[in-house]
Amino acid sequence: MPLGVYVCHCGLNIAGVLNVEELKSFALKLPGVAVARDLPFSCSDIGQEQIQKDIAEYKLDRIVVAACSPRLHEPTFRRAIAKAGLNPYMLEMANIREQCSWVHMDQPAMATQKAKDLIRMAVAKAALLQPLEQESIPVSKDVLVIGGGVAGIAAALDLADAGLHVFLVERRPTIGGHMALLTDVFPTNDCSICVLGPKMSEVFNHPDITLITYAEILNIEGSVGNFQVTGHRRARFVDEKLCKGCINECASVCPVEVPNEYDFGIGKRKAIYIPYPQAVPLVACVDPKACIGCARCVEACPAEAVKFEQQPQEFKLNVGAIIVATGWQPFDATRKEEYGFGRYRDVITTLQMERMLNASGPTKGDVVRPSTGEIAKSIAILQCVGSRDATVGNIYCSRICCMASLKNAQLVKEKYPETDVTIYYIDIRACGEGYEEFYVRAQKLGINFVRARVSRIDRVDKDIYLIFEDTQTGEVKRVKHDLAVLSVGLEPDQNAEVLGNLLGLSRRPDRFFEIAHPKMRPVEAHIDGVFIAGCASGPKEIPISIAQGSAAAAKAIKLLHKGELELEPTSAYVDQDLCAECKICVEVCPKKAISVKSPAYVDEAACKGCGSCAAACPKDAINMRLFSDEQILAQVRAATEETSEFPLIVAFLCNWCSYGAADLAGTSRIQYPTNARNIRVMCSARVDPSFVLEALRRGADGVLIAGCRLGECHYRNGNYQALQRVNVLKGVLEKIGLDPGRVKIVWCAASEGEIFARDLKEFIAELKAMGPIGTELEKTKVEAGDGKEKTAEGAGP
Amino acid sequence: MAADEEFKQEVLRLAGPEVLTCIQCGTCSASCPTAHLMKPSIRRLVKHCLEGKKEEALRNETIWLCTSCQLCTVRCPRGIRPKAVVTALKELAEREKIKGKDQAYEELFQRQIKDYGRIAEILLSGEFMFVFPQGALQSMELGLEMAPKGKIKLAVEKIRGRDEVRRIMEELGKG
Repeated sequence: MPLGVYVCHCGLNIAGVLNVEELKSFALKLPGVAVARDLPFSCSDIGQEQIQKDIAEYKLDRIVVAACSPRLHEPTFRRAIAKAGLNPYMLEMANIREQCSWVHMDQPAMATQKAKDLIRMAVAKAALLQPLEQESIPVSKDVLVIGGGVAGIAAALDLADAGLHVFLVERRPTIGGHMALLTDVFPTNDCSICVLGPKMSEVFNHPDITLITYAEILNIEGSVGNFQVTGHRRARFVDEKLCKGCINECASVCPVEVPNEYDFGIGKRKAIYIPYPQAVPLVACVDPKACIGCARCVEACPAEAVKFEQQPQEFKLNVGAIIVATGWQPFDATRKEEYGFGRYRDVITTLQMERMLNASGPTKGDVVRPSTGEIAKSIAILQCVGSRDATVGNIYCSRICCMASLKNAQLVKEKYPETDVTIYYIDIRACGEGYEEFYVRAQKLGINFVRARVSRIDRVDKDIYLIFEDTQTGEVKRVKHDLAVLSVGLEPDQNAEVLGNLLGLSRRPDRFFEIAHPKMRPVEAHIDGVFIAGCASGPKEIPISIAQGSAAAAKAIKLLHKGELELEPTSAYVDQDLCAECKICVEVCPKKAISVKSPAYVDEAACKGCGSCAAACPKDAINMRLFSDEQILAQVRAATEETSEFPLIVAFLCNWCSYGAADLAGTSRIQYPTNARNIRVMCSARVDPSFVLEALRRGADGVLIAGCRLGECHYRNGNYQALQRVNVLKGVLEKIGLDPGRVKIVWCAASEGEIFARDLKEFIAELKAMGPIGTELEKTKVEAGDGKEKTAEGAGP
Repeated sequence: MAADEEFKQEVLRLAGPEVLTCIQCGTCSASCPTAHLMKPSIRRLVKHCLEGKKEEALRNETIWLCTSCQLCTVRCPRGIRPKAVVTALKELAEREKIKGKDQAYEELFQRQIKDYGRIAEILLSGEFMFVFPQGALQSMELGLEMAPKGKIKLAVEKIRGRDEVRRIMEELGKG
């Protein structure tokens, strides 16, 4: 296995500090090295050609480039050696620029010594590299969209228009979500159903969309590219193909009346019903809880569509991606007992107000007092009911209620100019295009604004009274109104909980689904191939829900359009003979990529190569294709072969944040001592305790593990796992008589070069105070006398 | 008055750091059954604490009017305990020997009972005016109205067995 080593000058960036000549001759003496050269610019065409020429001439089968950070030029050199016929994964880089010459500019001798160690480590690792193949798997080009609200509709239409087949599954008998029930929408006061209705029927008529309403998802298996989904369609007791949607014949003879959930309880419907006139599909539905089975509808239907014998139907789908658009549910206002909702009829919610204002709603657009049926003359709107309220566990702002209330107030004022409308608010949040202007419009219309959070609502005789402190004057007041409208907040849909568990989605403290990165990946879930759109990931306005639906669609198209998925060969694999089926790997895997099918099985499409399983496996039955146990141990041994300075630190840096931070320290020329020998790993969770013990056993004075800041792990929770392991490890060190402070775990974001340097300096100072490794053992020996000499030597793994 | 950071920190220590999250919504004041008697309102009191206005926060009747019904604490949307703020202020006022109107009156009242066995109205109002002028002014009007009608006794009367009364009071004071 002849190996070539190339030491880059990078102009003077490296050669200005390090003795490149010395490094080259040092490399030439390392085992397996057939050729070593120094190149002025290894990444230049000339540099690459030299490497390619040597590969042919010396029959090199692996290459080490000692130059800049692999995060910068690893792809360049991989391509270069692939051109010369080598497997692209037969490359290892030693980072002697960002993490050496640029950060130790005033100590060239020590820096050259460190660079030698880094090259030795790279050569040791390179000797163990294996050729890897990028595998590609065929994927289904179908997409499942869960939830037929406005976000789901936007996603489904974009996907289908791009030529992917969509299964749109909706829990209710109609799509349209909450938007279909609203009256006009802010900030332009255009009619909601007029803009949504055409989209709903487009979904229904699209040849590439299979609409499955009144249905639920029961099970989801598989992973990105190939999810196997099982669901069931509930019985409507009406044949969808036969029903003409006339509703008159069946509903008019139905003797049962129940509150209409689509009017949020203020209107009534029959036991056989269509949710609202624009429902899609326009098919009747029998409510089995309300129906008394008189079968008068069966007789009345001229199309003979009512079928009491209908059974639920199971369906199975195979899809490549899943878009979760499960939306929201209104806060249950009865939980705020002091407002009397549910006890006082004239206290209603925003959604009931929306239905009242709706021309096709239960009052045909009139805003009335439910207790008398008379037009309300004085209306109070209370903001932040169930939002920004720790007493009900919802600290978050629901984001849309201020605007919705401004809109409803305007609609009332436009229809009944003499009606007194007062909005009681803590803060008016009008952040969006045209929103503040909308607020100004409301003020100009004569709507009253009182900065107060209403403390309670009393009813005396037929009237309701609001008690509040007008915080601008400091007066506590008791004011009479005809109607009080509670601006209820948004909560995640309860029914989405089961689905979240099926998919393994995580939730934020506010209970909405968590996205993969709070800024950079707004529609992706932690699970590959799963996307989240609309209010499922938090309260949002209509345009943002639509944008997210489209964004999720674009992400799914990008993922599936080729019909195959190229897998990075970074995944974990199981040694079947060693696996004890303990399932620890299943628990630690943040991507749900491992299942125990005796033995454990890694779904390579789902695995992202963090390596936590390999570190956790008690039998070392799991290993990684890149960053294997043997390779990392070889690096550790090479780093400690010559303990060239004190304290000598072996540092494990996670690829995403702390390795980036160390690189940034270099590009920012932040100077720090040369003591650390850095080893790149994909995640801090990759660090097997045995790596640490091996480093200490071989004479390293300390081991540093650096990960992303807690809560910011690129694999979700790897750094927490690393923290837990380090804590256990500290206990082990204490038991064998070593100072637990010799292992340190720190967190830095990729932007925190300064913090990386600071933490490292601190660690160096701590280790200096401790003395070289083993000092503490000498001390204990002296203290304990000669009788019980327990040594830590040989206490390695 | 300059902000007294030490005072603010002491209130936060006693009443909890969540006081910092107050959004001044007024739910506490509007929930308070004695709000109509309070000046400043409990909401303003919290604001005074956060602004480090020690004098305003401690020298007022509001803190002595709190009935500890806890409605403010139950309803606060930020999970603050306004009642705990009041308790903290009472404690700090005690430390600073700042008395409320009722407390000042009560002490004088008890002393007279101890000395005379009953109240000498003219002495009591006089002394009260002396120790708590801002509170006494209110009762002056009433006194001026009552005096010509002979409703205020000018004589200082003493009862027999004052020793016994004193003993009873001392005994009670121990409890």
